[in-house]
Amino acid sequence: MSEPADLVHHLAGFARALREHGVGVNMSDEADGLAALTLIDLGDRAEVRRALRTALKIRQRDISVFEELFDRLWTARTGSARLLAQKRRVQAAGRPRPQTGAPRPRPDRDSALESVMPEGDEPGYSPEAVLRRKPFDELSPADLLAMERLLSRLALRLATRTSRRRVPSVRGEVDLRRSFRRALAHGGEYLSLARRARAIEEPRLAVLCDTSGSMDPHARFLLGFMLALRRVAKSERSSEIFAFNTSLVRLTPFLRTLAPERLSRVLERLAAEVPDWAGGTRIGECLAEFVDHHLDQRVDARTVVLILSDGLDRGDIAPLADAMRAIHARARRVLWLNPLAGDHRYEPTARAMAAALPYIDQLLPAHNLESLERLLPLLAA
Amino acid sequence: MRAEIATLQEDMERLGYIADPAITTALFLSREMRRPLLIEGDAGVGKTEIAKVLARLLDTELIRLQCYEGLDVSTSLYEWNYQRQMLRLRIAEQEQKSAEEIEDLIFGRSYLLERPLLRAITRREGPAVLLIDEIDRADDGFEAFLLEVLSDFQVTIPELGTIRAEHIPYVILTSNRTREIGDALRRRCLYLYIEHPTLEKEVRILRTRVPGAGARLAEEIGRFMQALRRRRLSRAPGVAETIDWAQALLHLHREHLDRETVEQTLGCILKDQHDLRDLSGAALDPVLAEATG
Repeated sequence: MSEPADLVHHLAGFARALREHGVGVNMSDEADGLAALTLIDLGDRAEVRRALRTALKIRQRDISVFEELFDRLWTARTGSARLLAQKRRVQAAGRPRPQTGAPRPRPDRDSALESVMPEGDEPGYSPEAVLRRKPFDELSPADLLAMERLLSRLALRLATRTSRRRVPSVRGEVDLRRSFRRALAHGGEYLSLARRARAIEEPRLAVLCDTSGSMDPHARFLLGFMLALRRVAKSERSSEIFAFNTSLVRLTPFLRTLAPERLSRVLERLAAEVPDWAGGTRIGECLAEFVDHHLDQRVDARTVVLILSDGLDRGDIAPLADAMRAIHARARRVLWLNPLAGDHRYEPTARAMAAALPYIDQLLPAHNLESLERLLPLLAA
Repeated sequence: MRAEIATLQEDMERLGYIADPAITTALFLSREMRRPLLIEGDAGVGKTEIAKVLARLLDTELIRLQCYEGLDVSTSLYEWNYQRQMLRLRIAEQEQKSAEEIEDLIFGRSYLLERPLLRAITRREGPAVLLIDEIDRADDGFEAFLLEVLSDFQVTIPELGTIRAEHIPYVILTSNRTREIGDALRRRCLYLYIEHPTLEKEVRILRTRVPGAGARLAEEIGRFMQALRRRRLSRAPGVAETIDWAQALLHLHREHLDRETVEQTLGCILKDQHDLRDLSGAALDPVLAEATG
């Protein structure tokens, strides 16, 4: 084996080991790594380490893996004369062209920093305020009606959130650039002014709702909220709804055919579509099915994935962790609503919950309407 | 260590920036490989400062593009000067010029307002340092556009044609990681993560940036900051805060830390209401003990 190839091979082996340990390093990074190595003092191990960290773009969260692999795999090389010869040949060979593949969507992992304060309505005594804090499983039929109206107001607030981006519009501020362009077409006469306004960004959501017995009242409310959201959203494609207990059912197609009617009736009809509604749960298998059949199509880098479940599942947790990792890697944000988390003594110790936790951006309570309101800023596009 | 990297470190230190080898190696590689450098790290660790020092070091202009949500081409790249174009158009009509003549007139370079990105690639005097600050605040669409500019260093303006870079600028991007930067842009850059400084480095920074602070005060401040960062805070203070604090203490003529002094000036380093509340009164004592003990 020729000597420059030796350095290349060494770097390739190191990159492969990084990949095997889950650190994303691709061909173009390797090419950068090689280029960097030709520029530095190869005899100085610390400098090699620093250069590779920079050129292979090792993120902070991957640094410990990198350091460990570097210590183990990057053999100490002291024969600097031999390496210098390699270096020259590598330099002569020129830098391989970086290959840029399709960009992979990145999940938004820092969302925990965002505020979870509810916006809008002030606290204080009012029938509505009481309703907001009332646990879902203690609601009377009269409460339910009032709740429906509240839900649709919430949904409207979410669906009409404005972005800071400006787009052409018939109303709004004058868009000089486009007005001028238009005026030129009429010999410099401003016959009409072009305007622009802030875009309305609809959230994209994928909702996975646990409908097992322990979750029944909560599932009804989250689904009710999603239905209200779909009703005010401009685009039908903005949200996807799945229900699961022992198997996964995509509810979105059923929603399309439903006329706007009383929430409770809609839910009754949905319940009829889901086998074993209010039965037991197999979270892991259901999420794995979601990953296999729906993840690529229904979830992209703009989608917020919302999972509603109490995490009480006695099944195998390995498929759950795998599925959660896959979802987290693709979605913009993963939120887990757990009605049990409304109790301040709650610790996510249920086995399934604990296994999923590393892949959740935020674990939130969902036991009353107030907790759903807190969701709004997190769901926004 | 390669000699150039050691020299770079000395040069930066001369300009008041205490850089550790990780920073200088990354900066050296970015300069040699002519690749943008993406710098991530908590607020206040000195990301933006690197670009400023680099510009002074290379004795060139620092062109800064501050990113924000909704940043678009007309504020980052170029905009036509509509008012001037319109005036010129009226005059040209009176001069009875032909349409082609008018067009050539008003779509000339002198009617173009250069925004930071365009200015950075059209600077004639030599390569500038282009600082794209807080790229995580801009939206995905802008990131994709930036990727294109940073790949080719050329810009196409429909009315003018393609403008190629006179000199390829030194590009530094910073991010506070409020949003993950897209993979494509990350791959285009070299990468540096800046940690909070070690005690030794922080004290050296203090001695350099706040020369009036005595050895004892600098040491105590350094240890206090280190102890503070080991606590669970919602916003860990950076070096920028350390320097502010040292200057404040200097103005108050304090030569060492005691509880009263710290309580009066804690607002210099803790910028979060909850952190301030958690660290008031007796809660300060263990931190102070670590700093002065």
